[in-house]
Amino acid sequence: MVVCAGFAAAPMFEVKLPRGLDFTLQNSPTPQKYLIETMPGGVALLDYNNDGLLDIFLVNGGRITSPMSSPDNFDRHDPKYWNRLYRQNKDGSFTDVTEAAGLANASDGNYGQGVAVGDYDNDGYPDLYVTSYGKNILYHNNGDGTFTDVTAKAGVTAGGWSVSAGFFDYDNDGKLDLFVTRYMEWDTQHSKDCGGAYHTYCPPGEFPRTTNILYHNRGDGTFEDVSEKSGIASKKGHGLGVAFADYNGDGFTDIYVANDGMQQYLWHNNGNGTFTEVGLEAGAGLSLDGGPLSGMGVVFQDYDNDGRPDIIVTTLPRQTYGVFHNEGKGAFADQGLQTGVAMMSGVTSGWGVGLEDFDNDGWKDLFIAQGHVLDNVEKIDPSLHYLEPTLLALNRNGRFERADSGSEALVAARGAAFGDLNNDGWMDVVTTVLGQRPQVFMNRGGSNHWLTITLRGTRSNRDGLGARVLVNGQTRFATTAGSYESANDKRLHFGLGIATTAKVEIFWPSGIHQTVNNVRADQFLEVREPERSSQ
Amino acid sequence: MMMIRAVLTLWLAWQAISPEAAKHFQTGTEADRHKQLEVAVAEFRKVTELEPGFVQGFVSLGQALIEQQDYGAAVTSLEHALQLDPNLGAAHQLIGYALLAEGYSAEAIPHLKRVDDPGALGIAELQAGDLAGAVANLQRALERQPGDPDLLYYLGRASGLLSKQAVDTLMAQYPDSPRAHQAMAENYYVLRQMPQAESDYKEALRLRPDLPEVHMELGEVYASSGQWEKAEQEFRAQTKLQPGNAEAAYRLGNALLEQGKAKEARPELQRADHLLPNMPETLYALGKAAALEGDAAAAEKSFTKLLGIEKGTPLAAQTHFALAGLYRKQGKTADAEREMQEFQKLQQQGAQQ
Repeated sequence: MVVCAGFAAAPMFEVKLPRGLDFTLQNSPTPQKYLIETMPGGVALLDYNNDGLLDIFLVNGGRITSPMSSPDNFDRHDPKYWNRLYRQNKDGSFTDVTEAAGLANASDGNYGQGVAVGDYDNDGYPDLYVTSYGKNILYHNNGDGTFTDVTAKAGVTAGGWSVSAGFFDYDNDGKLDLFVTRYMEWDTQHSKDCGGAYHTYCPPGEFPRTTNILYHNRGDGTFEDVSEKSGIASKKGHGLGVAFADYNGDGFTDIYVANDGMQQYLWHNNGNGTFTEVGLEAGAGLSLDGGPLSGMGVVFQDYDNDGRPDIIVTTLPRQTYGVFHNEGKGAFADQGLQTGVAMMSGVTSGWGVGLEDFDNDGWKDLFIAQGHVLDNVEKIDPSLHYLEPTLLALNRNGRFERADSGSEALVAARGAAFGDLNNDGWMDVVTTVLGQRPQVFMNRGGSNHWLTITLRGTRSNRDGLGARVLVNGQTRFATTAGSYESANDKRLHFGLGIATTAKVEIFWPSGIHQTVNNVRADQFLEVREPERSSQ
Repeated sequence: MMMIRAVLTLWLAWQAISPEAAKHFQTGTEADRHKQLEVAVAEFRKVTELEPGFVQGFVSLGQALIEQQDYGAAVTSLEHALQLDPNLGAAHQLIGYALLAEGYSAEAIPHLKRVDDPGALGIAELQAGDLAGAVANLQRALERQPGDPDLLYYLGRASGLLSKQAVDTLMAQYPDSPRAHQAMAENYYVLRQMPQAESDYKEALRLRPDLPEVHMELGEVYASSGQWEKAEQEFRAQTKLQPGNAEAAYRLGNALLEQGKAKEARPELQRADHLLPNMPETLYALGKAAALEGDAAAAEKSFTKLLGIEKGTPLAAQTHFALAGLYRKQGKTADAEREMQEFQKLQQQGAQQ
């Protein structure tokens, strides 16, 4: 039973740039209107050195010349184009440890896009997978503050134009597998601009669709590309965001892919290593009126506390953000109107998205990083804007209401990652902004209680990704994936309202069911997976 | 009928003119029939030289010259014909065409007014700036030739210019009037400059709060920018002013629906359906509102009724999709699959078109 303790009228966040976080997202816009320019970049919140403080990894774009010559060279040797890892210090400031961590450069042939975080070798240290237009990179965390590029050995280069990625365990073998979305078949030599005299970025339909990639973790530091045999390659699309959850409660994690300008894909995990795309049949593929969606980011969590994961997809203007409510029995219904989300979209462009309980009242709130694709959209339609405000909407018993995020800045935001940066029990957000510094939304906090859980898998994967966790009537699905091109804090955060204790139930990917009663509120709790189910 | 008239003309010509002239006339007529325009012109010119009082010779020469697009020479020949017979309708019509083709629309009008050719007269009036006359005549012409693309184009242009002329007059003479602000707002709306449109609509309403349609148009401004609460207020004000306006009722219902207020939306949509029965958009919104409220039977009824009216259109496709969702929610899997198949069939048809 969750009791709402009221909503604060003050802004939810203090938006500031912590000392030391001096990153600028270099997307390098050109008159050529290369589509990659408007698509980066990802952000990850992870504790790479296990010191208990969240660190920030930011993906950079690269240098683009106008026009580009073949082969593509994005000049990533110049430090301004590096991806960056910032270690959090005890005082809340950050130190750039990119070079020391071995993460400098990213190959001149790569223009950065997104990032995924997961401990693929179960050694207790989170690893990084960076997506690019070009080749992706898997960085193994050595546990000593450094990373090693193991892409070639692991066999996860991908190629083409990768966007978002996520680690998950689709076959419940205790080893994290990897899913990579890819946008389209495109290269700078076959680029074009649209919009006639206005010269705008082209919509995705101007370019051929492509396949997403599923890598199976063999457990020996290598992965097998199972896209074909799993069925994932059977459908091409314009993949951008990806999120995971077990939507039908069969114990196997399913995949939702946000496709741009077309039907969205819901890949049902058949439990035998194969997937079937069921977006249309399940009612989670198109808008309420049967139209395609320009799916960008996606979150796959339970917003109405009915225990089933719902899907929220961010889109472009003249569409409303898709809110696919899980009705049970494998069916979804668009509830954009009932939830109030449709009212808050329609003229905005959403990218990174999260469902997190920012006010700790027991209901997951909605946060969306916004900004139009076209940097000259005002010329085409003066009622739309390239720079947009961030959307924060508080959840009141399943209906969302716009709230003051604390920032009135108009930006072209893209990635968004969610986590408790200062370990105060209140969820914070980091977003990326094209051509600018990231935005850090530090939660001002309040009087409600909370509980943050770290899963320690034993039979399941070490971080328990894929577990379903119930706390006082709320459900979260353990994942670092979701949003857009970004990776979230692996810890599971629950707002408890006025409750000072909690009952915790965990359904581990291994099938083990664990219950912990009378858990004290306002603590970071690590729960170790038991050998067998408890009552 | 054409053949009889041609034979009759030749017979009359033979009665009135010399055999040599008649022979040239016959040769010219034949050449004209076979589109040998240079021969026809030469033969008819010979006729006019041999028989300068033979009016039909000048008319035929003028017609052949028009066909040859030598409008200046045609006008000269036809003017000669009209000197011989000032009431000859065919000559007035042809000279009207020739003058119009050369851009002398004002000169063409008196000739075209003497014959029953509202299309040509309307075009001449449009070019001469008599927009009201042009609209009236082009409408008459379209009654005779429905769907004629040229006439439709000219009517559209004449109507647009007439509208602009009226608005320009309004702006020039009454720039601070509520109607002037309304007209300005409409222009801004078309240009998608919503803040300016909003400002002028508000000013129009400040000056005259009961101005018809302004609340609805202002509501549309808000609706297009997703400000549904404000849109609702304006549509509600419109329905208060005009309770018999079905569109206002529909728009109010739709604005409520967009806010998820399905319960409030339904009576407004029902009222719209009562005022203007069986409008597909109203039926779709009614079905959607009922579905949102969980009234599956009413939703199904509206959607099914709509599909009885609307077939093969994008709205029909949408409706099949909505029905699929309705059935899916009820666990009627087979029905949902059937509707999805219909939806996909129409989608594919639409994509192919």
